This record gives sequence, structure tokens and C-alpha cells, in this order.
Amino acid sequence: MITIRVLPVLARHVVRTMPWATLIAGCLAGTALLVLLTYVADRDHQVLSPGVVRLGFLPAVAALAFVPRDPLRQLTQAAPAPAWLTSAGQILLAVPVLAVTCWAQLRLVDHTGPQRSALYPLLGQLTGWCALAVAAAACCDRSRYADLGGAVAAPVSLAIIALAWYSPGIDRLLLTPPASAHAETLAWYAIAAAALALGATALRDRWHRYARVLRRS
Amino acid sequence: MNMPAATRTGDVGRPGLTGAAPARPLRTVLSLAGAEAALLLRSMLVLAGLLAGGAVVWRVIWTSEPVWWNAAWQIGYGQVILAASVLAAAQLTASRARRDGMRELYDSFPVSAATRTLAHVAALAGVLPATVLLACASVALTQARGVIGTPSPAVLAAGVMLVLAAGAAGIALGTRFAHPLAGILGGMVLFVLFTQSYRLLAYPALGGLPWLFPWTIPDQLGSLPGPLAGYPPGGAHALELAGVALLAAVAALMVTKGGTRHRMRLAVTAIVAAAVIGVSVAAQLPSIPTAALNRLFSAAANPTAAQHCTTAGQVRYCLYPGFDAVLPAFQAPVSGVLSQLPVRPAPVLTIAQDTSLALDDPPLTHGHTRAQMDRWNAELQVPPPSTATAPAIYVTEGDERAARFALALGTAEWAVNLPAENSPVNPAGACVALDQAREAIAIWLAITATHASLTRGPGIQAVLVHDTQVVVWIYPGEYDNYTSAPGPQTTVAGLLLAKAMASLPEGKVERVLGASWPTWLNWHTTDAQLAAALGIPMPSVPVPASPLPPGTSPPAQAQNPLCT
Repeated sequence: MITIRVLPVLARHVVRTMPWATLIAGCLAGTALLVLLTYVADRDHQVLSPGVVRLGFLPAVAALAFVPRDPLRQLTQAAPAPAWLTSAGQILLAVPVLAVTCWAQLRLVDHTGPQRSALYPLLGQLTGWCALAVAAAACCDRSRYADLGGAVAAPVSLAIIALAWYSPGIDRLLLTPPASAHAETLAWYAIAAAALALGATALRDRWHRYARVLRRS
Repeated sequence: MNMPAATRTGDVGRPGLTGAAPARPLRTVLSLAGAEAALLLRSMLVLAGLLAGGAVVWRVIWTSEPVWWNAAWQIGYGQVILAASVLAAAQLTASRARRDGMRELYDSFPVSAATRTLAHVAALAGVLPATVLLACASVALTQARGVIGTPSPAVLAAGVMLVLAAGAAGIALGTRFAHPLAGILGGMVLFVLFTQSYRLLAYPALGGLPWLFPWTIPDQLGSLPGPLAGYPPGGAHALELAGVALLAAVAALMVTKGGTRHRMRLAVTAIVAAAVIGVSVAAQLPSIPTAALNRLFSAAANPTAAQHCTTAGQVRYCLYPGFDAVLPAFQAPVSGVLSQLPVRPAPVLTIAQDTSLALDDPPLTHGHTRAQMDRWNAELQVPPPSTATAPAIYVTEGDERAARFALALGTAEWAVNLPAENSPVNPAGACVALDQAREAIAIWLAITATHASLTRGPGIQAVLVHDTQVVVWIYPGEYDNYTSAPGPQTTVAGLLLAKAMASLPEGKVERVLGASWPTWLNWHTTDAQLAAALGIPMPSVPVPASPLPPGTSPPAQAQNPLCT
């Protein structure tokens, strides 16, 4: 059992091992892209749709794939506190950073604030993307690609997002249009829940799945 | 952990840390490059990029009627995906030593950092099989699709150069930034430059110069009746990408330490690369010659003068030279509709290929005077002489299924006397065949001719006709303007009745229609009368979510005319 006394120590460890630079670099890169697109659109008197935020949020999703990683996992597993607490804490710390990024990007694209009917599916979609990135990162961290971590998880997350975006058939459920805003929102939150469940299972897994090493031995 | 740069050093016969005399640099570079190239080619990122690129090319080529002057650039879509993944993989390769915290170990080897970086650059040859395979497979797919024209080797080579340039940029990135996110962000920048080029081009300083982007295809390229020299300039663009690849390789090597000779060589190579880029950019800047554009706009303004026409049955098909292979695709939906008519209309119908060319395209017209643009605009505004005397449908190439359905529907609407395109009945907006049996008959004819599986689609969209809200049906490809002018606005009531008709035996419907064909063509004959004659109930039509409050007078501009 974890006692209250452990929490400050644990929090310090989580904050110190959190890849702040990576996460903030990803968030800033996407926001910088949106600043550029907004500037160009303003010069040409075009109106950017809130959907452009999806593009600007992709670098943040890629950066999030580097977050749930404990470089001292082998050591923390030997400690009395559960090893998954570090990664879970890192993910929790990333949430406000991502939320601020999303808010800033939405304000950039639409100064008056997007309509709720367009906002809910968008937020659902971005939440789903983040959950997919976390799940991919957690699974990669338990695989033989653990050393590369986010370098594998980020492309995997982006590939899944591209699949959902462009696959004929799937887009009927996950993109508005053809899906209705309500259906899209529900679908993405369902995906987010499933991805988080998968990610939690992977984080709690105490064993490394080094398939190639096992075969060689 | 992969350490090919270390292990391969031993492979060429020299112990890594014993201080033996270094081998000749060229042999060392080639040996290391071979090992790195094999790793790069086997990289999961590169293989995934190859698969994704192939899927993108398949989707783009297979769903449209390809013409080589456009398809060769579309193959580049797949190369862009592969290039993004190669960029990320190359960054991982070049940053391996620092990322793994092994820089000191690598530095202790007899092979210098400059040699290792040069080997990484040379290892880009490892992705050549992947990019060439993608290009060749795409060419084979396009040929199998029945493409028009001949491919441009320069454009295909530009696609290969794009991948190599992205790989060199990845190595340059990896020598400076060890974190893997740098490579992923680099790949994203390439992707954004590709997908958002149309937005960025709106910036005045970039207007009219899309060729300078890594990969951009002008919107109207697929609509041209033939290749247009310099639109886009493929050879010069391939040269520009080669220059970028060389400059990126120099940037990668600049980080490494070296003597004066090393610096001088790099400086000279950088100057050569900059010169190549400068020359290629200069070659892409000139505007397209006036004579070539005169010919193009003349062919677009008066298609029948430039096209070859053949008559089959009562239909005259007019196509631009070289497009003969498209004829069966045009004939199938038209014949399918006409074969089901109890009585064929007397006049000969002309189905003509259309370019839908627009002057609002800076890459096409940049560098030309306003007066010249006005002359071309005036030429394009004049309707073709044939439309004044005979009914004609102008068809633009596009997504095969949607374009065929649009052609079939246009033919069917003509056959049931619905106001044809270019009709004076509908000068402002599309007319609506409100509660007219002939609309359902037209949609049924199009469905049976193309075997289309149609849905009402999400949401409810309504227009006002004589102060009555009518729920409209946006048919597949309606917004893509496959036919040159909009026909009547189709309604959901017409679609649902047509689908109910399609579920009946064809013979039964044909008998009912044939028994009193002139009655069905009368615009006073209602959907209910048709349903009663066929013995089917009238389908229920969805109600708009927010009807106008009682007593509210709709704005005048919201009214659509009734088709008569």
C-alpha cells in the first residue's frame, strides 16, 4: 500500500522524469504551424475552420507518445510503490499542457470561439487521438522496442489516426460528415476509453516482452 | 542496440580499438554505407512508409480516369508519404550514437565522425529500391487502369529525388538533434508543406510559384485536354530536389570536425548545390507561353472544334484527341439509360468532354497581363455554338463511379424533358421538380443504368420552392461538377420513390412507364400517381428539423424555381 508520505517523493520523481521539453516542443510546433496558417489566411481574407486544429494538434499527439516512459523502470519495479505510478503521473501531468495547447489553438483559429456543435466532436476526436498515443506508447514500452519508446509509438499513433481519417468505411463513423456530430463524439470517446483501458493494462504489466531476446536464448 | 558503424569497422579487417592503421576512406565509407543501407531498407518506418505510399497511390489512381500528365504527379503523393518516413528513419540512423549515449565510444574508433556521416549519406542508396519500386509499381498500376498519354520520366525521377532529399534532410537533422521527435516533426513539416500548400500559396509573396514547394500539383492539371509544357516543369523540379538533397548532405557534414581541405570541399559542394537550386528555380519561374495558353483556352472554349466526334445510335460523343479510350466509359451509362426508354427523344444528344478550365489559377496564368487575362476570360464565357442548336451534356473526368452516375442522371433528365443544362428556364439557381413523377423516373433510370447503391446521406437539407420547404438529395458527386452546369436539384422524395421502383422487377416498371409515357413526362403528373400505377405505397419523406414559423415570409433569394 502507498502511504501519504510516499506521495511527495513520488511526485518529485514524476516531475523530474517527465519529458517536459519534448512535450512542450510538440505543442509549440503545432501551435506555430497554426499561427502561420492563420496569418496567411488573414492576409488572404480566408476563414480557417476549427477542423484545422486537428492538423495543429498532431505534433502534440506525437510528443505525447514520448511521455509515458520511466527510464528507471527496472529500479522502480523493485520499490514498494507500484511501478506504473510514474507513467500514470506523467500522463496526468501532460493533460493540462495538452488542454492549454488545445484551447490556445482553438482561440487562434476562431477568435469568436467555435460553435458547440462543431466543438464537441473535435474535442472527442482529439481526446481519442491522445488516448491512442498513450496506449501505443505504453504497449511499445513493454515490447522489444522499449529503447526507442516514442520513436516507435508516435509513428504508430499517427498511422492509426491516418487510418481513421482516410479509410473508406471507417470515416462513416469517425468523421463529420458523413457521420453525425453526435455519433462521431460518441465513437471517439468509446475509442478513447478502450485505448486508455489497453494503456492501463500495459502500464500495469510487470514483464518486458522481449520476444527476439527470448527466442535467441 | 544497433552499432553497425562499429561492428562493420571490424568487418573490413581492422580491430576497432587497437589503434591499427585506418583503411582507405572510400572503402570504409562504402563498407559502412552498405551496412547502414541494409538497416535503412529493413527499417519498419521505411517499410510502413512504402506500404502507406502504395495505398495512397492506389486510392488516387484507381478511383479516377488517369491521364499521364496528372498521374505522374499523383504518384508523387505516395512518394511524399515514403519521403516523410525516410526522413524520420534517417534522423534515427544519424542520431543513433548520441541517442544511445555512445558518442565517446564511437569517437574512439579509427573511423572519424565525418566518415560515418558520409556513410550515412551514401546509405540513402538503401532507400532507392523502395522508392523505385513504388514508382514502378505505380506506373504498372496506372497502365493497368488504362491511362491516357505517355509518362514523363522527369516527373517520376523527381519523385525519387524527393525521397532522397528527405533522407538527406533527415541525416542533417539527426546530426544536430538526437531526440527522435525531431525526425517525426521533420516528417510532419514535409507533410504540411504538401497538404497545406494551397493555403500557403495564398500568401502574396508565394502566389503563382507552387513548383518551389517540395511537391504540389495544380488543381486543374487533371482537367487539361493534354499535356501543357511547363505546367508543372518536371525536369527543373527534379533538379531543384537534387540540389536540395546535395545541400542537406553538406549541412549534415558541416557538423563534423575536419581540416581546411575538408571545409573547402564542403564549401565548394554547398556552392554547387546552391547554384543547382538557383538555376532550377529560375527555370521554373517563367510564365507559360502565350501561344500555348491561346491554344488551350481555345480548345476549352470551343470543344467541338478541337474534339473528334463519333455518333452511336442517336448520341454523338465528342472527345479530345487521345481520349478514345474513354469512349466506352461514356457510352455505358448513356446507353444504359437510353435502352430503357419506351420512346427515345427525337434530337441527337451530344455528350462532349469538358475541361472546366478556370483562369483563377495563378500557376497557370502568372506573368500574363490583365488585358490578356480578360481576353481569355471573355473567350471562356461564350457558350459553345453547338449548345444553341442541339442538346448537349459536357462531362468532366473524375471519380469514376460518381462521374458515371452524374452522366447517367444528366442523360435521364434530358430524356424525361427535365430542363437541361444551359437552359434559360434556370438562369439563377437550380430548379426543383417538386412532386413530379419524371424526377423519380430519371433517378430510377440512372440507378438501373449504373447499378448504383444510393443512400439519402446524413442530415436534412431543404430549399424553398413556392414557399414550400423541399428536402433535397445531394447525389454522389453533385458538388464535384462532373457535368458542366447544374441540372435540376434532386429531391429526397424523388430518390425514395426511385429506390422503391428499383426494388420492383424491371419489366413491370418498364410496362407501366411504356403504357403512358407522355403522361409521365408531363410536369403535372405527381409522384403519388406514379406510385399508384406501380402499386407501391408512397415512401415517407423526412421533415426538416427547423421549419419556418407559421406566417414567416422566407427571404426572396432563398426561393428556388419550379421545373416546368
